Amino acid sequence: MRVPLGWLSEFIDLPEDPETLAERLTLAGLELDEILRTGPELEGVRVGQVVAHERHPNADRLSLCRVDLGEGEPVDIVCGAPNVAPGQKVAVVSPGTRLPDGTKVKKTKIRGVVSHGMICSLRELGLGDEHSGILVLDADAEIGAPLASQMGGETVLDLELTPNRGDCTSLLGVAREVRAHFGGTLRLPPCEPNEVEREASDDIRISIEDPAGCYCYAGRVVLGVKLGPSPDWLRERLEACGQRSLGIAVDVTNLTLLEFGQPLHAFDLASIRGAEIRVRAARADERIVTLDGQTRELSTEDLVIADAERPVAIAGVMGGVETEVGETTVDILLESAHFAPSRVRRTARRLNLHSEASYRFERGIDPEGVVRAVDRAARLLSELSGGAVSRGVVEARGDPAPVPGPIRLDPKLPEQLLGVPLQTEEVVAMLGRVGVRTELAPDGRLECVAPSWRNDLGIPEDLVEEVGRVLGYDQIEPTMPIGAAVPATEPAAYRLADRVRDLLVGSGLSEMRAFPAVSDSDLDAMRLAEDDPRRRSVRLLNPIVEEEPCLRSDLVPTLLRAVHRNLSHQLDRVRLFEVSRVFRTCEGRQLPEERLRAAAVLTRGERQNLWEAAEPAPLFFEAKGIVEGLLREFRVEARFRSGTEQPYLHPAAAGEFVAGKDVLATVGELHPEVAAHFEIEDACGVLELDLDALETAEAGAARSKFVEVSKFPAVRRDLAILVDEARGAGEVLEAMCKGGGSTLVSVTLFDRYQGKGIPDGKVSLAFRLIFQRPDRTLRDAEVAGTTDRIVKMLAHRFGGELR
Amino acid sequence: MPAETPDLGAIERAALGEVAAADTPQSLRETRARFLGRRGSLSGVLRSLGELPAERRSAIGSAANALKQRIEAWVGERQAELERDLQSAELAKHRLDVTLPGASLRRGALHPVTFVERDMVEFFQGLGFSVVEGPEVESDYNNFEALNFPPDHPARDMHDTFFVEGGAVLRTHTSPVQIRAMRDREPPFRFIAPGRVFRTDHGSTKSPLFHQIEGFLVDEEVTFADLKGVLYAFAHHLMGSDVPLRFRASFFPFTEPSAEMDFWWNDQWLEWGGCGMIHPRVLENVGVDPARYRGFAFGMGIDRTAMRRYGIPNIHALFDSDVRIREQL
Repeated sequence: MRVPLGWLSEFIDLPEDPETLAERLTLAGLELDEILRTGPELEGVRVGQVVAHERHPNADRLSLCRVDLGEGEPVDIVCGAPNVAPGQKVAVVSPGTRLPDGTKVKKTKIRGVVSHGMICSLRELGLGDEHSGILVLDADAEIGAPLASQMGGETVLDLELTPNRGDCTSLLGVAREVRAHFGGTLRLPPCEPNEVEREASDDIRISIEDPAGCYCYAGRVVLGVKLGPSPDWLRERLEACGQRSLGIAVDVTNLTLLEFGQPLHAFDLASIRGAEIRVRAARADERIVTLDGQTRELSTEDLVIADAERPVAIAGVMGGVETEVGETTVDILLESAHFAPSRVRRTARRLNLHSEASYRFERGIDPEGVVRAVDRAARLLSELSGGAVSRGVVEARGDPAPVPGPIRLDPKLPEQLLGVPLQTEEVVAMLGRVGVRTELAPDGRLECVAPSWRNDLGIPEDLVEEVGRVLGYDQIEPTMPIGAAVPATEPAAYRLADRVRDLLVGSGLSEMRAFPAVSDSDLDAMRLAEDDPRRRSVRLLNPIVEEEPCLRSDLVPTLLRAVHRNLSHQLDRVRLFEVSRVFRTCEGRQLPEERLRAAAVLTRGERQNLWEAAEPAPLFFEAKGIVEGLLREFRVEARFRSGTEQPYLHPAAAGEFVAGKDVLATVGELHPEVAAHFEIEDACGVLELDLDALETAEAGAARSKFVEVSKFPAVRRDLAILVDEARGAGEVLEAMCKGGGSTLVSVTLFDRYQGKGIPDGKVSLAFRLIFQRPDRTLRDAEVAGTTDRIVKMLAHRFGGELR
Repeated sequence: MPAETPDLGAIERAALGEVAAADTPQSLRETRARFLGRRGSLSGVLRSLGELPAERRSAIGSAANALKQRIEAWVGERQAELERDLQSAELAKHRLDVTLPGASLRRGALHPVTFVERDMVEFFQGLGFSVVEGPEVESDYNNFEALNFPPDHPARDMHDTFFVEGGAVLRTHTSPVQIRAMRDREPPFRFIAPGRVFRTDHGSTKSPLFHQIEGFLVDEEVTFADLKGVLYAFAHHLMGSDVPLRFRASFFPFTEPSAEMDFWWNDQWLEWGGCGMIHPRVLENVGVDPARYRGFAFGMGIDRTAMRRYGIPNIHALFDSDVRIREQL
């Protein structure tokens, strides 16, 4: 809502400083968006006074003026205007300033005389068409002042209104707020029209056929108008509020709307067929061309204003072209009505047609202002167009407008709720400032009646807010709540997600967060089968990007896009993860299934620090190592198995960590086809963690127990075994751990070798075995015996040969 | 022939010079031998003591013995010195270019929102607020109706909503968690609910994804001043006690009275979040008796707090996947 302060000050006295006003209104809930200045943008144009004037020595039509600019010596300016004269206050553009048409004013020699700027006409200033002479300002214009400050521009507060404050969508409403916070007396513009003999009801009949949709409809008739462009003052007021001038009749209705917040409409009376107005529901298949030129299909839910034959306006939303007031209009019907807010809102939404009128009707108008507004508009219209106002307001009433009843307020409630000591008298006085009438009932409560324009006040708490607003929230001293101390908890999943973040960060990955939508083609690019459950994605009806309506059923596509994006910026070491929910539709339930997941991507990047350790392992092992570390941290016993059903991973370089039936994690390198889809040329490792499954697994994991360490010496044996390369080293390792007996305390794989000296199809695996007993020193023979057994077991199970 | 009186002074001067001049352990050993070895000059003096007249024997003998000890001491000191030099030379051979960058363990970085969210949660846990969560795809009922947004009400325009096939919405705020958490519990309680929220408006200063922390406390005696106190303490905890703050009247269907809280940053007031006393209708909707209990609730922006803390000028930088941005914190 734009509020020109000059205009507002006609309604109520204002504090001198606009900032003070704006700050108080902001604290009270009418938030200042910005302070604007209307009027011309005339930077660099100042007021000067012509102190001397003589003919140009070398040109008859030019004159040489000495102009006082309020600082330093007066300057010489050459001027060609016939009307320039000594003593005049004029608009001076100094060298270096650009005129609205783009020309830059320079210090120039004109016929041998130096001119220090330019004295301007209205047209040169971009303020009008007048160019027969220079603009002569009022005699009291201040010399040296910026021209803009002398040109009648307005300071305008642009206020952001909350939807409950429909009453503030007018100058009157804002003036009432000003009164609440600064005091003062309201002044209303004159409303009473000068009526002629002729009865308005002779020319129009009004009936309401849909009483639930229209509480009240008031019409006035203005006969014999001569329409044309609006006078400057009217145009300027509308423009200051951000509206365009559209001719006298429409401007008058818009001005009144801005003054009182009551939407009005002007019909060309001659085009109303049957001289009657019927407020009714639209019929099926009815249509109307609205003022914006669009043909609108109406539904039976819409409320329309109709004449004897057809709809002529969509109630509270927009008028129709066929009854529009034009240059040739002679007689006018002015409409002022009170429509049911939800009816207007539904129609405006359905037609996606939001107007100044619908905005106010949706929020609720002042039912007691309906007639006043049509009076005011009729008076203005007759003044500006020479028309005659017929006698009387033609009024029809539907159902009574729902008014909130009186509110019974415990006078202690404001104090209890706000936490500020407040006496009953103070409460009464504060409520009085916002127009709430109060009466002390015998039971000690206050019977409160809200003013007709405050349809948002319905319960005692609403009144407490009013008390708070008048008091000022800045006057409320902060306190801390009392109450029993209870230990704070958090859901296990929340805690787990946070730990996972820390562990992944510790593994060198950085966290990203992204809007959780992807496209169907992303799912295709992931090679998901048609029946993959992730295809059952939850879809947005109004996505940000049309092609991306699917809420993520998997986090990986977003990460792959991030990889692509970074690689294309020559950032080749990408290590990112995200912890987020994934969504999947759930048969027979309104809300989808949400699961908490984490996923990460890794690319190698060029190594920059070659003095460090040798070439690291393939990305797969980095990804796997990250998961292993993480699972260890959670004390979860998970089995690794080679291969995965994840279609986006490389089938020969992928695996899964499984606990019970749950897959806790998947790791692998990216499938080349997927990489191609996402235009990723570098090798890329991917891991995914199912945090819900991890939470279950962790909950079931046994707490780790302390184990005494042996004080006796350990014995180390290294074994190198040749096995078929098809056998996984993990399998061999596991067999040794299981079958090594109680004295074998650890086995590690420390080398894997193929090449010279190793037969084709075989691989040499080197293990380090540590033997130890808790109770005594092992004898060599014992160790030799155990080692022998292990070697035999390997030979038996894996065909392994000792090297 | 009576023995000559040995010239101990000359021996001493020679020893002092030669010990100091020895520059390797080897030459030091040789130097020592020249004086104290079997054929050393001082050993010769000691051996020939017997040839001296008895009356001088004892004086010269003790002087020679004292000199012997001094020479031993000089040799010992020189020996230690030479060893130190040797060690230094050895260490110098293993010189590293210590100005090379450290071997990076390459930690990653948490998201700024995560950092700030943790800080926020920690503050409220200290005040006894427990964390609760709710789904991100919500029913219209929990997201709007139960929070006193009637179906055809302009208040719904305050939330540019993502609609989901089948009638649900992407939650537009964390407030539906209030409904879920309060529905099956008996007051008093205090909860916080941090999380992601979604709105369709986006532009230079808005992102369709952002984060809020919801908080609510229901008890028999709670006031608006308590709400202000908690939020001011919260703001001071996060932004320092000198941050300018503002509490101003506002409107939310689910609170009454309602307020909006701003903080000052970069020469302007920035909206931090909305708050107020829980609307009695909301309490009724979740089965809490509004005649007995009152509560306050708030939903503050995490993203803006993070932007202020790290000097991030544009919210879109928070959701950028550029590793140069993501690895900064």
